[in-house]
Amino acid sequence: MSTTTVPTRKPPTAQGDEPVFSVSGLWKVFGPKPERVPADPELGALDAAELRTRTGCTAAVRDVSFDVRKGEVFVVMGLSGSGKSTLVRCLTRLIEPTAGTIAIDGEDVRAMDKSRLRELRRHRAAMVFQHFGLLPHRTVLDNVAYGLEIQGVGKAERRERAAEIVAKVGLEGMENRRPGQLSGGQRQRVGLARALAVDPEVLLFDEPFSALDPLIRRDMQDEVARLHQEEGRTMVFITHDLSEALKLGDRIALMRDGQVVQLGTPEEIVGSPADDYVREFVRDVPREQVLTARTAMRPAAPADETGSGPAVSPDATVAEAIEAVARAGEPARVMDEGKCLGVVGHEQLLGVVAGVDSTSATASGPTAGPIPKDTATEPREHARAEKPATSTPEAV
Amino acid sequence: MATLTVPALRTRTPAVLRNRAVGKLLLLALVTAVLLPLLHGRAWPHHLTVSLTQPLTDASNWIIDNRDTHPLFLYFFGYISNAVVLSVHAVYVTLLALGWPGVTALGALVAWRVAGPRLAAGTAAAFLACGALGMWEATMQTLALMVAAVLASVLVGLVLGLAGGLSARLDRALRPVLDTMQVLPAFAYLLPVVLVFGIGVPAAVLATVVYAAPPMARLTALGLRGADPEVLEAVESLGATRRQRLLTARIPLARKELLLGLNQTIMMALSMAVIASVIGAGGLGDRVYQALSTVDVGQALAAGIPIVLLAVVLDRVTGAAGADGAKAPRTIGWLYALAVTAAAALAARLLGALDWPVGWNVEIAAPVNRAVAWMTSHLYSGVPVVGGTADWAAHFTTWVLDPVRDGLQWLPWWSLLLIVAALAWVIGTWRTALTAVLAMAAIGVLGVWEPSLDTLSQVLAAVAVTLVLGFAVGIAAARSDRVERALRPVLDVFQTMPQFVYLIPVVALFGVGRAPAVAAAVVYALPAVVRITTQGLRQVDPAALESARSLGATGRQQLWQVQIPLARRALLLAVNQGVVLVLAVVIIGGLVGGGALGYNVAYGLAQGDLATGLVAGAAIVCLGLMLDRVTQPTERRPGKGA
Repeated sequence: MSTTTVPTRKPPTAQGDEPVFSVSGLWKVFGPKPERVPADPELGALDAAELRTRTGCTAAVRDVSFDVRKGEVFVVMGLSGSGKSTLVRCLTRLIEPTAGTIAIDGEDVRAMDKSRLRELRRHRAAMVFQHFGLLPHRTVLDNVAYGLEIQGVGKAERRERAAEIVAKVGLEGMENRRPGQLSGGQRQRVGLARALAVDPEVLLFDEPFSALDPLIRRDMQDEVARLHQEEGRTMVFITHDLSEALKLGDRIALMRDGQVVQLGTPEEIVGSPADDYVREFVRDVPREQVLTARTAMRPAAPADETGSGPAVSPDATVAEAIEAVARAGEPARVMDEGKCLGVVGHEQLLGVVAGVDSTSATASGPTAGPIPKDTATEPREHARAEKPATSTPEAV
Repeated sequence: MATLTVPALRTRTPAVLRNRAVGKLLLLALVTAVLLPLLHGRAWPHHLTVSLTQPLTDASNWIIDNRDTHPLFLYFFGYISNAVVLSVHAVYVTLLALGWPGVTALGALVAWRVAGPRLAAGTAAAFLACGALGMWEATMQTLALMVAAVLASVLVGLVLGLAGGLSARLDRALRPVLDTMQVLPAFAYLLPVVLVFGIGVPAAVLATVVYAAPPMARLTALGLRGADPEVLEAVESLGATRRQRLLTARIPLARKELLLGLNQTIMMALSMAVIASVIGAGGLGDRVYQALSTVDVGQALAAGIPIVLLAVVLDRVTGAAGADGAKAPRTIGWLYALAVTAAAALAARLLGALDWPVGWNVEIAAPVNRAVAWMTSHLYSGVPVVGGTADWAAHFTTWVLDPVRDGLQWLPWWSLLLIVAALAWVIGTWRTALTAVLAMAAIGVLGVWEPSLDTLSQVLAAVAVTLVLGFAVGIAAARSDRVERALRPVLDVFQTMPQFVYLIPVVALFGVGRAPAVAAAVVYALPAVVRITTQGLRQVDPAALESARSLGATGRQQLWQVQIPLARRALLLAVNQGVVLVLAVVIIGGLVGGGALGYNVAYGLAQGDLATGLVAGAAIVCLGLMLDRVTQPTERRPGKGA
């Protein structure tokens, strides 16, 4: 799970406040009489092995709560068996949740009857699967049009719309092939096109690129990022790949044993891991490519406002700031709408790269001098742990 | 921690296995020791038999008396019977109306549409050969019966298969029944339908449907259940209704299994339609049956060849339909085929050539009979050094069949039950063992212990010969590509032939008696055993074989230490299949002097003594159940309630 390259953070997408999906206290327990586990706090507190010996049940999702905001890419990340795939299936009740509430645009999903639920699946949330789930006896075009066919759209119209989507995902000229004649990447493009064809409010991805080769996986990630920038569609993205999560996610929920151990932006996850598990998880991430100048800077002193030095955006990554500072040969000013928020110099930037905390120094008070000596000379092994968590997991 | 437990497990497992087998045997021995004072005598004790003769005769008589008056017959069986007769007759009349040019054209064009020009030519040639052998009408009779039976079988099979495929509970209920029906000899199905419908076409068609529907049902359910779960999930995630899911995903995804089911149903229907000549099916099977009863090998062959041709053509054409997956339609259209057929039929009608021209017949019965007569006088006995075929048969009977039968009959009945229990339990589970023992005991209760042991002795002898030959050939084919290539077409043809036709050559070679029945059974079961053995050995993990080679193992060492142990399951399956197939033919062997249960059934049918026949039929079912369960490896049908 080592990540060597994390591409430049994309600018955060415009985020509305109203949640598309609102999940709270969600449980999914497999096994005999599953409802008693969430109902009984004592059983709910047991760990997986004890729960199994006591009740014969397995809790795949334990008391999970989160909101997916409109227009964001919400990534659920975890290793296999952490319950993330079960979680995403609970959202449209492909797997029936055991307890908790799920709301889409304020409407209770668990209270929906069959036809309402079908409506939800047909128009509001479409899913892309790890192994594509294509119909082998149909052509690419008919696979893409399948969702529309289910909705009862006429043949001419659905084929026309499917052809547009096929072009959009870069499969022109392959409309009449069958899935068996396509490569893995192409098949997943068909899967993506099928989900897009119904023009859903939310796209759900269940480890869509795990079965693909690394190079093709990167292509497909770029494709998804591009689609998201163009259309701003809300996405829920399941992955076990940290670099994929960091690359695509506006916010990441990190799951372990069915629970969300931390929920936050990529920067928060990498910059301030909530516990040792998360810390171990993000250990190999190149921090300078995830953390931003806003985090690294020291607050601006009055002198800085008019000072020289290159200007960087607060959302620029540390790597970009390093480049600016190296070119200019002097500390850079973090400018937001013409206002100087702070300054990043060698010390702050090196501190990020080295994994050494520099914020405690800035917290102790802004120093006028360009070099706050006390922090740079004191490399502490676990300095990060002292940093107050900027985000507490919303559900544990 | 894992590294510590793994070696420990590995050394312990064989010991546990050994202990388990020994434990099972010890437990059985203990049970016997406790029960021993109660057990005595050799033959099945009289007070433990229940004579069904009287009630069965009464039932049979009641049915015969009430067949024309009782409402059950008037309003239920009567309608079924009439519908069957009408539909068979309609198909037959249609075929006759098409005339031989029309039927040949239709067959060839359908084959062309489904499987390409080569099979079309083969189909046409096969039809013409049927005509040339003077069997046109008989062929059409058989075909008409088959069309009706296959349509009904497919319908019944589809309905049952859909039920089993969509409902897990129904599947659990149906599967053991269908599995069991597949292992029972065809002969066992004849009597119950005769009891209800009397001898005639309805009984023949219904017996065929009962025999041929299970594979369709099984494969339909299998195809529906085997659909890729992620595809189904994707379909559901798009909001499909149950109906949409079934029609747009599950059924198309099961296409291959459905076509395989159709293929198997057609082959089994042909096999049964031929055997059902015993209960009045008419057609080709009847000609063979009549000829065999007078040991007229030439006539039997003249009727047998069309059966084989029909079987091969039907198998290839339906098989090609299943294999042809994504290929675009590259041949003629259906309309074109129908038009040509109509034209051919019309032309024949105008020319007055609807019936097969007698002048074109090729008479093979007489020359064949001359050849057989020559064989009888020259090859039967007294050939220097090797002896003659009849001598072999006699020796086989004296030295193998008789001792085995006498040995089985000498053994005390309870010890036989014990042996059955021990074998079944060691190979399978306590459930299979229990079923096997109960089936064996039921034979005794039915009062046909002695003839059943006679049949069993023939089965055992035939299975032994089959396995020795089959494993030897199978190993050879697995080790040499050349042998396998040479064998493949032979096996293909042999596997498609109906059981009945195997009786013809063995009667020519060995005359009548138990030895020819065993020989026919061996020939019938051999291809399946060879094929399963070869496949099993070839599918052995190549990595294991490669590592053995890299350690310098010789070919023999590879075979004995790697291939055969790893192919254990396939070999057990080969044994199981061999036993089931051998039993089916040994029973039919009752028609050529095999005696025992098969003879009882044939006698019951011929003399109208349904009670004898039904009891024998029930014993055949029990014997089939017992033999299947005894040889059933544990893993073959997991979770199955015996």
